[in-house]
Amino acid sequence: MPDLPRKKVGIVACSGEEIAEGTVTRLAALRVLEQLRPGDTVTICLPLFLAGGEGDRAFARFYPTIAVDGCGERCAARATERYSGKPAAEVVVTELAAGCGLAGLHGRRRLNEAGQRAVDLTAGRVAELVDELLERKGWDRRRGSFEAEPPAEAPAAPVAATCSCGAGIPVQKVVIDGRTVTLIGLPLIFEQLREAGKAPSDHLARELLETVRIYNPIPADEDETYAMTLLREYAAFWGGKEPAR
Amino acid sequence: MSGEKRVVIVPCSGIGKTYGTVSREAAYEVVEDLRPAATQLVALSQLVLGDEASRAAVAACPAVTLDGCKLACATKMVQESGGAVAQAFAVLDVYRRYKQFKPQGIAELNEGGLKLAHALAEEVAAVVDGLITPNETDGGRHA
Repeated sequence: MPDLPRKKVGIVACSGEEIAEGTVTRLAALRVLEQLRPGDTVTICLPLFLAGGEGDRAFARFYPTIAVDGCGERCAARATERYSGKPAAEVVVTELAAGCGLAGLHGRRRLNEAGQRAVDLTAGRVAELVDELLERKGWDRRRGSFEAEPPAEAPAAPVAATCSCGAGIPVQKVVIDGRTVTLIGLPLIFEQLREAGKAPSDHLARELLETVRIYNPIPADEDETYAMTLLREYAAFWGGKEPAR
Repeated sequence: MSGEKRVVIVPCSGIGKTYGTVSREAAYEVVEDLRPAATQLVALSQLVLGDEASRAAVAACPAVTLDGCKLACATKMVQESGGAVAQAFAVLDVYRRYKQFKPQGIAELNEGGLKLAHALAEEVAAVVDGLITPNETDGGRHA
């Protein structure tokens, strides 16, 4: 099976520009991504769930995601659930601050001292949640939730965490039985198979099907149609990009 | 002018890029310093969620959007929310006009970033002036 990135946690901050707590979410998320848990985390701008493509909307299904909200409106959590997938965990700055007796948070443009402490607090809590989610096994990228009985999982591939805006989850549209279907992760799967030197063959069609099924729902009675289509698409990919020997 | 705001300012809410920070700094300068009585800030996250007050604001007022990257989330979200984008600024394009200001930093902008944000804010303020009638402007605070 292709060694797709398995162990990363997504972070979606509300980044609410109107309030200081929104600034706290943005700075806390940045600190986790760049300093506290680089390599284990990835982010996406909340508006891309609407302004982006299907790969962007697949974000919270592909990665167990922590929604970081500034206030009780929970824009990040609610929008993530509505457009992408239910967040695996949530942090709300106002609740976190109140729970720690932190008051007087001001300065959406330049945070005051209480605001800076709220960033420390929030970033610390998010990092804890990242660790918890990384330790937990059995994330189902097709359903966007953890499985009750986790299967064995391959070790994580270290990949630098960066802003995912514009990258999203790679998707590819294919025509299956006259219908255009968007398949999440297909470009990555093709690339990994090619790098492994696996040429198109009838035997490979089954492996393709089972790998694609991890990330996409495939109707039970369409296995053969999907397998043939995937093999055809992979053959085209292979023909255009056969690796140098 | 009356207490009602006339122009909506919508900056990028990006986390990972300097230009996003420049867009927000410029937006804050416009709504807090340059044209406080004529403008109001609308958060992208609320437009994404379909917040009624935010949608009403962009539907009722012309919007100036400040985008940090080519994906143009701010512009797209205003349009998707039923608003009219009076002027869409892309920070990269602004930078091309002010290449002497080299922006760096995300959590905190360097001096070049702050200067670029100021230059953008001045351009936004000029657009705001063109969108509202003279008796609606902020009195002696115009350039």
